[in-house]
Amino acid sequence: MSDFLDTLSVLILLSSFVLMANKRIKSYIETFRIQSLLIALVAGIMGVDSLLTEGRFDILVVCLLIIILKVIYIPALLHRTYVNVKYKVEKDFILNIPILIIVCCGLVVFSYFTLATVDGLNESIFNIQFVNSVSVIWIGLFFMISRKKAIGQIIGFLVIENGLYITAMLSTQGMPFIVDLGISIDLLTAVMIMGLMVFRINEKFDSIDTDQLNNLKG
Amino acid sequence: MNSMIYILVQILVIIMAAPLVNGIIKKIKALTQKRKGAPVFQMYFDIYKLLQKNSVVSEVSSWIFKVTPYIVFTTAIAAALLVPVSTKLITQQIPGDFIMLVSILALGRFFMMAAALDTAGTFGGMGSSREAMISSLIEPSILVSLFTVGLISQSTSLPQIMNAVQNTGVPLLHPVYIMVFLALLIVIIAETSRIPVDDPSTHLELTMVHEAMILEYSGRHLALMEYGAAIKQLTFITLLVNILIPSDQLIGFTGIGALALSLVIYLLKVVLLSVIIAIIEVNTVKFRLFSIPNLAALSFILAFLGILQYFILGGSHV
Amino acid sequence: MGLLLLAVPVLAVLLLFIFKQNRIWHIISLSASSFLLIIAARLTRNVMLGGKVEYSYLGGFFYLDALSMIVLDIVLILGFIVSIYSIGYLQEEIKQGKVAAGKLRHYYMLMYSFIFTMVLALTVKNMGIMWIAIEATTLASAFLVGFYNEKKAIEAAWKYVIICSVGIAIALLGIILLHLSSFGVLASGRFLDWTALYDNAKSLNSSILRLAFIFILVGFGTKAGLAPMHTWLPDAHSQAPSPISALLSGVLLNSAMYGIIRTAAIVNHNQGNSIYTGRLLIGIGILSIATAAVFILTQKDYKRLLAYSSIEHMGIIAVAIGIFTPLSVFGALLHMINHSLTKSMLFLSAGNILQKYNTKQISQIKGVLKLLPFSGTAFLLGLFAIAGTPPFSIFASELSITVSIFDGKSIWLGVIFVLLLAIVFAGIAVTLFKMFYGNHDQKDLKAGETNIAGTVCILVLLTVITITGLFMPDGIIELINQAQSIIIGA
Repeated sequence: MSDFLDTLSVLILLSSFVLMANKRIKSYIETFRIQSLLIALVAGIMGVDSLLTEGRFDILVVCLLIIILKVIYIPALLHRTYVNVKYKVEKDFILNIPILIIVCCGLVVFSYFTLATVDGLNESIFNIQFVNSVSVIWIGLFFMISRKKAIGQIIGFLVIENGLYITAMLSTQGMPFIVDLGISIDLLTAVMIMGLMVFRINEKFDSIDTDQLNNLKG
Repeated sequence: MNSMIYILVQILVIIMAAPLVNGIIKKIKALTQKRKGAPVFQMYFDIYKLLQKNSVVSEVSSWIFKVTPYIVFTTAIAAALLVPVSTKLITQQIPGDFIMLVSILALGRFFMMAAALDTAGTFGGMGSSREAMISSLIEPSILVSLFTVGLISQSTSLPQIMNAVQNTGVPLLHPVYIMVFLALLIVIIAETSRIPVDDPSTHLELTMVHEAMILEYSGRHLALMEYGAAIKQLTFITLLVNILIPSDQLIGFTGIGALALSLVIYLLKVVLLSVIIAIIEVNTVKFRLFSIPNLAALSFILAFLGILQYFILGGSHV
Repeated sequence: MGLLLLAVPVLAVLLLFIFKQNRIWHIISLSASSFLLIIAARLTRNVMLGGKVEYSYLGGFFYLDALSMIVLDIVLILGFIVSIYSIGYLQEEIKQGKVAAGKLRHYYMLMYSFIFTMVLALTVKNMGIMWIAIEATTLASAFLVGFYNEKKAIEAAWKYVIICSVGIAIALLGIILLHLSSFGVLASGRFLDWTALYDNAKSLNSSILRLAFIFILVGFGTKAGLAPMHTWLPDAHSQAPSPISALLSGVLLNSAMYGIIRTAAIVNHNQGNSIYTGRLLIGIGILSIATAAVFILTQKDYKRLLAYSSIEHMGIIAVAIGIFTPLSVFGALLHMINHSLTKSMLFLSAGNILQKYNTKQISQIKGVLKLLPFSGTAFLLGLFAIAGTPPFSIFASELSITVSIFDGKSIWLGVIFVLLLAIVFAGIAVTLFKMFYGNHDQKDLKAGETNIAGTVCILVLLTVITITGLFMPDGIIELINQAQSIIIGA
């Protein structure tokens, strides 16, 4: 089982690299969907395991929640937003893709070197999953920085959230159930609010390029 | 004696099977396009036909042009010798390792590019420059991914790596190996001039890379060039299937029967991978030349993540 | 009793949803906030007598002790004052045509959701739920920041949502690590339970805990407006409607700081000293004060200036928590109360000025004292108060923090601290005091207050901060001492 989880954690990390290499908003959404699916798979494996060994089924509920929310609903929501804002195809990122990817590599190395020295985190099998999932968080953060479009930033935020989910899942078998539930609700509301804001930005600024949000300074 | 057998079997298997891979890929592509397509063995006939014919050599070209087909073919065979098709065959250390493999192939490639420049045709030069770019982008990821498996098995020799990996169980479930597998898959696509890097079935000047380099060749020379490319392709496929999908540990007995069985399984794996490559080729479109660095970057990242995962695991845990 | 605290805002939102008349919305808001105030008074008494309020139902998630009670009281008192002020303020906005009458309902609904999330953050003992509630405060207040729906307001709201969501996501990583550090120590029913974490702090894995603290400090620090994560704060505070700025500055920042204090208490208890958290908190605190000082000196917009002053005061609180002696923690909590009351008073009077002059530029405003005799005076005195002049209450708390810094033998820190406060004082004096005198240029402005009830609120707050500067009731001192001993440990 831990082999499966190791591999899945690597694949999730890989999916965030793929996201970084994406150029179109449509493919951001698809990659995010795939990443969420992988996370749901992790939750599913852990859920079945905990059902068989301890008789708990809360992780399975969380898994179901992830599928409904992150695999189906949020991508659809984002897609709707994307269709409605009449997005023009433009270059969306600041640096070119190979450089972005190499920076991401640096982030993985960084999180490895920072986390490998912490007592209690540096036990081998646990460490790989932890490092990978924490790297997903940093890559999500970097994705937000590297993209200029508002929807790209929402996706970055979602990837950070995915990274947190997977960190919690792999390191602590998930947070207490009620907390997981609350996080999901928060996430949903956050995405809805951000989606609405994208509309308003588009309305007022005739673009969803966040570089134009530069009126407030000092 | 044993090494004689090794060389014999190795050369036989590789030479016999190499054109088959091309045949399978072409057949599958044809089938997905609702065509009947050429027979699987078409390439054997083509090569036979070409070998019968004389080759036309441009007056302005030098000896490099004439000698290159032979160098390409021999370097391909030499490279193939370094990658055992079956671990049941190895009884003693084979000289050479994967660094040598990469350099031998680089030698062949160097001559191929030189010959393409030699005829002073526009396409030749274009093909050479593109080939130089692609190969320089892709080579780091071959080396890094092979170093990763090398680190795990504490050796750079391919037979030893293969032996060591057999003890891992199912390597494709392992985080390190899965990264290396994906990285090498991209490497194979790039090295064997397949879509999305290059399109082997067209002669469109905007896109062709490998075809542009061998455009001036005909007859025997062309046969050798094509054959060399096919052998190189099979060598890479062998590398991938024998390292990352090891099967010889499943055969419990030794002797000639074991060898035969392991060769059969090997051929099955090769067919399987050819099918996978064909499917990838059918489902993707060719990239712009300037997008190829992105693909190479992806391959390098995969290899790099692989080596990183190895270190995260503490090295000993694999 | 305590659960009513959570039920009332929800009920208010539901009622607002049902009724359609403008007047009834005001009444609902006013009665909800006064009801909350009454409950808060009852609960405060219970906490002062019993030390804490806990209920066993619903898994015992409800928990109030002196520390949360102090912050909660601030929330509800300011909530009450803001709800009174909002009536007049919003009527005037509608009259001036800045806000559509129908949007009043959105305003109140969002405001009560905002209050609900803050109350939730302060009344739970599960750190995970606390995190959820603090994240929810961002979401609830996002549209309040963007309420005017202009270019600048939308920009501020977008920055606010994005920066705070990401910041708070980093805090979640901290919470996860906190959870991880308690693995094998706590029983599964008490995961992330603050009381359990605090009681068993000695046996938590300390290196993971230290890592957790960094992430929580960065995450909640973003929300608390500590530099260098403060960039959303001036934008949001200056673009939000003034009563909401008062709530953001006086209440929201405290709720986030509360999360940091809770975590710091666990970490210090685990380490046995405050060196680790102290260094981080003092560093980030001094940086915040310095950043704010620089921006205050060159500020052209009075609402942004007040926002930077909030960053400065959060920095002061962070430094005080970092010193972690009984006196400094006492000072920190007292400062929290004083800053909230003073700053919200300032924002409310700034709201009156803004409505009168229709500009946020300092240079275009003259003769405030003539046009707005009451709120103008309150604003002037409030500026003295926020800069730390006696006899106002902020002087008392700043003094006790300064004394505690010098007590800790860190003379240089004390010198820097006092120097920075002096710079801030000078900045406020130089940039703002020219607003008050002279004659205004525009002829069409009439003298006199428009929002009578709101102005009364401002004057009440002014009286309170003046009186508590001279004389602090024993009850409050008792409560703060209780909270201080919760943080530091007996």
